[in-house]
Amino acid sequence: IEVRTKFPVARIKRIMQADEDVGKVAQVTPVVVSKALELFMISLVGKAAEEAKARSSKRVLSSHLKQAVQKDEQFDFLSEIVSKVADAP
Amino acid sequence: MSDREFGNNDDLSLPKATVGKIITEILSHDNGITFARETRDLLIECCVEFITLISSEANEIAEKEAKKTIACEHVTAALDQLGYPDYIPEIMKVAHEHKTQQVTREKKQSKIEKSGLTEEELIRQQEELFRSATNKFNAAP
Repeated sequence: IEVRTKFPVARIKRIMQADEDVGKVAQVTPVVVSKALELFMISLVGKAAEEAKARSSKRVLSSHLKQAVQKDEQFDFLSEIVSKVADAP
Repeated sequence: MSDREFGNNDDLSLPKATVGKIITEILSHDNGITFARETRDLLIECCVEFITLISSEANEIAEKEAKKTIACEHVTAALDQLGYPDYIPEIMKVAHEHKTQQVTREKKQSKIEKSGLTEEELIRQQEELFRSATNKFNAAP
């Protein structure tokens, strides 16, 4: 999967530095984090889409994203964010 | 959607349009599957959380090495620690490309500085070049 659209690097740097503990960041660092984010998105979007398909839905709903998060250890850090989402019927 | 500082200090999120485009690109081969708007917004929250997770870990790693600046190697170490080692090869490619571009950027900047010309003089020379190119273009049969 090739993604052409890029995340705004300055915004990524801002989000990183919102953490008070984070000080200086090398110029290449937000660029590299942007790439990691792209890979993360490919993974999560793909898995959420799989959940939708498994439920014969062409629209990916929050409940599908929640399912994807709960099924994979890699996404454990997201469990609080998805906890507010209602489960699929 | 400007990234400038005025007023928007709380905008620690990602632009919806950009994320939307990326989602579409990722799903482009998947006939007809789309993300609901609420799902896109939820995904954005997940993305911000991911950035925070990586930053925090990379920061700790940098601190342990008594480094004050978070560098690429701290990010890759963080990805490894957090269970994303498969991302590392792509990251290294991007870091390398950036370094190459950086050398070109620095060369260009250095050439401009070394020329010893003021900005006005540089602009004048550029306009001269454009004029001469236009003339050549128009003169050709």
